[in-house]
Amino acid sequence: MNTQSSALTRPHPSAARGRPSGGRRRVAAVGLVVGLSLAVVASVSTAGRRFYTDDPISREPESRDASGAGVEDIGLFYELTYNLFVTSRYLPSNTRARNINTIDEVPDSSWFTNRIGTTTITAADVERGPVAGPAPAPERWTIIREKSAGANPGFTAKDANGETWFLGFDPPSNPEGATAAVVVASKFFWALGYNQVEMFISTFDPQKVVIEPGATKKRPSGARTPFTQDDLNAVLEGVARNKDGTYRVAAGRLLPGKVIGSFRYSGTRPDDPNDIVPHEHRRDLRALRVFGAWTNLTDLKAGNTLDTLMTENGRGIVKHILQDVGSTFGMVNREHEWDIGWEHFYEGDATMRRLVSFGFALSPWQTVKYKEYPSIHRFEGERFDPRAWRPQTPTTPYMEMRGDDAFWAARRVMAFNDDLIRAAVHTGQYSDPAAERHLAHVLGQRRDTIGRVYLTAVNPISSPRLDPGGSLTFENPAVAGGFAKEPTAYRAVWSRFDNATGNTSPIGETRSTSTTEAGPRDLPSAPDSFLEVDLSAESAQFPSWQQPVRTFFRRTSAGWKLVGLERLPETLDGPAAASSKNPEPK
Amino acid sequence: MRRRAGSLALVASLLAVPVAAQNPEPETRTALIEQEQTEKTTQLHPFEPGKVEKYLNWAETLLAAGEAWHPFFNNAYAGGGFTVGAGYNKFVSPYNTIDARGSITVTGYKRLEAEFIAPNLFKRQGMLSVIGGWREATQVGFYGFGTSNTVDDRANYGFKQPYGQAMLNLRPGRRNLLIRAGFEFTEWNQTPGSGTAPSVDEVYTPAALPGLGASVTYLHPQATVAFDSREVAGYARRGGFYGVTVHDFADRDNKYGFTQLDYEAVQHVPILREAWVLSFHGLVSTTGTKGGEVIPFFMLPSVGGGSSLRGFSSWRFRDRNSLLLQAEWRIMVNRFIDTAVFYDAGKVAAHTSDLNLDHLKNDYGIGIRLHGPLATPLRIDFAKSNEGFSIVWSASAIF
Repeated sequence: MNTQSSALTRPHPSAARGRPSGGRRRVAAVGLVVGLSLAVVASVSTAGRRFYTDDPISREPESRDASGAGVEDIGLFYELTYNLFVTSRYLPSNTRARNINTIDEVPDSSWFTNRIGTTTITAADVERGPVAGPAPAPERWTIIREKSAGANPGFTAKDANGETWFLGFDPPSNPEGATAAVVVASKFFWALGYNQVEMFISTFDPQKVVIEPGATKKRPSGARTPFTQDDLNAVLEGVARNKDGTYRVAAGRLLPGKVIGSFRYSGTRPDDPNDIVPHEHRRDLRALRVFGAWTNLTDLKAGNTLDTLMTENGRGIVKHILQDVGSTFGMVNREHEWDIGWEHFYEGDATMRRLVSFGFALSPWQTVKYKEYPSIHRFEGERFDPRAWRPQTPTTPYMEMRGDDAFWAARRVMAFNDDLIRAAVHTGQYSDPAAERHLAHVLGQRRDTIGRVYLTAVNPISSPRLDPGGSLTFENPAVAGGFAKEPTAYRAVWSRFDNATGNTSPIGETRSTSTTEAGPRDLPSAPDSFLEVDLSAESAQFPSWQQPVRTFFRRTSAGWKLVGLERLPETLDGPAAASSKNPEPK
Repeated sequence: MRRRAGSLALVASLLAVPVAAQNPEPETRTALIEQEQTEKTTQLHPFEPGKVEKYLNWAETLLAAGEAWHPFFNNAYAGGGFTVGAGYNKFVSPYNTIDARGSITVTGYKRLEAEFIAPNLFKRQGMLSVIGGWREATQVGFYGFGTSNTVDDRANYGFKQPYGQAMLNLRPGRRNLLIRAGFEFTEWNQTPGSGTAPSVDEVYTPAALPGLGASVTYLHPQATVAFDSREVAGYARRGGFYGVTVHDFADRDNKYGFTQLDYEAVQHVPILREAWVLSFHGLVSTTGTKGGEVIPFFMLPSVGGGSSLRGFSSWRFRDRNSLLLQAEWRIMVNRFIDTAVFYDAGKVAAHTSDLNLDHLKNDYGIGIRLHGPLATPLRIDFAKSNEGFSIVWSASAIF
């Protein structure tokens, strides 16, 4: 019994199969307690099934009413301090993500919806993204209050139709930059599967603005006093202005449901019964390390997320939203932040290096070349290395990401072809076509680097299919993407698998030089019989491909159904674990 | 982490009881997950932050509120030594504050004052500061006029001083032009110097040292015009400041009145994407007498101390005019720490024509600074001059 696995993948608790996990010492200590308990249980248990009839599930159920969930905010100071000085020293458990199903995929949930990479996504889909309703009507804006979150100033305002929007402006140094970034990034993150705010590029004409009589602004004293014309002027003086006197804004539609704070990147919400997988072990959150690197989403803090309480099917459901993805591409909090994406806000090694060398030991962000457009700012793809990419502060899932999580994420990134990237970038409505082309080009470069790095780091055999006649086919996305040569051979080790006991009995071994190979002749044919097939590849270029991908097939009336896939062992140790450490940027 | 351990303990407890006593084995994966969710419904509780989080949230609230007790490290007068102090800042309107504060040094320098700040006047173009207070310095160094004296020439004096000042800063159009105008009322009551050096009244006579023993009341208007392109003065990595300040020190008794002109320039030159900054500072002060009046020795321009010639004692060189030149090579260690290699040079002279680059007193050293984007709350400089080694502790940027 592996205590680290989730209900989404693990056998029922009565099944005694697997290994105790390693990882952090505290977890190990708890694991010891669990292990002792396990010994007691093992002596009285019989066995438990490995796969259930509904495996692999495609949706993570939210079965209980979460309407009692209350507001839970996280302080910026605490989060920043904790992540910089505690999370950055976090020792990853090296355990498999716990919200994946039995075929190593992330089921849909209140966090995540499978889109690109699993269904056909068109350029039109990407352009539309999370948008479900009409664009704002900017003929008149009525200001309700100031915008309290985010680096860029803005307002909460109602449009001419009376709908509430959050308006953000561009800094004077980067006209179009901030507004485009948040709109474009919302398309990417929506396509990647995350809940997003509906974002639009719109116009703010100060001649067509009224201040609602009850509008207020929080003052330095903490008091809320009426919002004044000078408050409006103060914001407008500090933002980029169009030649005609209007302002370009990014308008985010007010989210449905009741906002109950941010989600945290570790643990679970103690007031949400459906939230049973610690967030650091959610693959969708671990994968933000790859998606963040691709788009340079540097501000990963919990404060940029939102939990909302929705009512679905009569039950309260907490929906988790990546609310502000505007710190992407070249956008930074302050114009002169050069190290964004290259270093956390604080890193001990870099600090010491610069201290003792008087700054002569140059950091990569000092020498990397940028082709700068004001609307894109500093975003490049030549020296980009996703393993060395750094958000402003690390999160626990960022630290927990391992090779199979990164592989999963990289496949989604690779699913964006150039047309889809261009479609998303086009929604930024850049006035300079060269800037738009540059952003799409760099995203393509970074996408390919991600593929080159993460699709080759682990055995890439994917999407295995076994036809009724016993012919096995699979894919090798590393080879298909042009990042690796075809292996000299693929090897499949076939066994019967007893789903009740977990026992296996060997059938045979087959080899092939292509991604199709014929299985042994004596495969079981009885309904509900199971096969375990270990698939590995022989590649001098990538020795790690010898680590087999373990797959499981169930015999159904229609043939063989893939019910299990394990790309990496439940727990990594030794070199495999060490290889997941962050390298220094170069 | 506590919650994760808790969830594992939950699993452990599930395992510790006989299987037969547990829920029946679910038939589907979905049912298995739902079973865990049902288990959790029995343990729901509101989020409760841990002690560290509570403390840091409290600290954030305190900092954000701006209305709180705070440390205060400014001493009464330069050269007072290590300082401790505290203040309480209170909002008296949505933007305006009153800060009451006090400090004391190891050498007995004391300062008590209250400051009213209105930071948002004239549609955010002006800031008014009004200060009233009292201070005492016990052993301010005086080494004689000019630069040809030695540290052995030191004599000390003290003073007690009530003061009041109103200063208005204007930035028309909220741009780089800075206009500053102020009015100060001060009363300098000299006292014999304490400390290891002799008191000035034991070394000099009133005839040899203008102002010795005098109590002087000044009405001091001043005005500054400057071009200031720094983001903030408290911590800048680029931009500059170029300004002229005119002072008129009017003695109520018409004995010690004088005028002073300060010419100041600061320029920060970022290199290697601001990982290095070359920072330069120049300050020239000249004084002029009014008919028949003299400038008391304790009001003369000076160089020396933690914000000028750092390798020399505070007030080390005094005369009618002064020149200070400083250069720093600042190195970004991380977002909160800079180190610096610096060189200071300066002199004082009786005549403005002598304010040249000949016979400059100089020092050099290294420093480390803790800073945020707006301020430098701690600066430690280690400086070496021909008169020895100095360590400077300061709660502000040098320039």
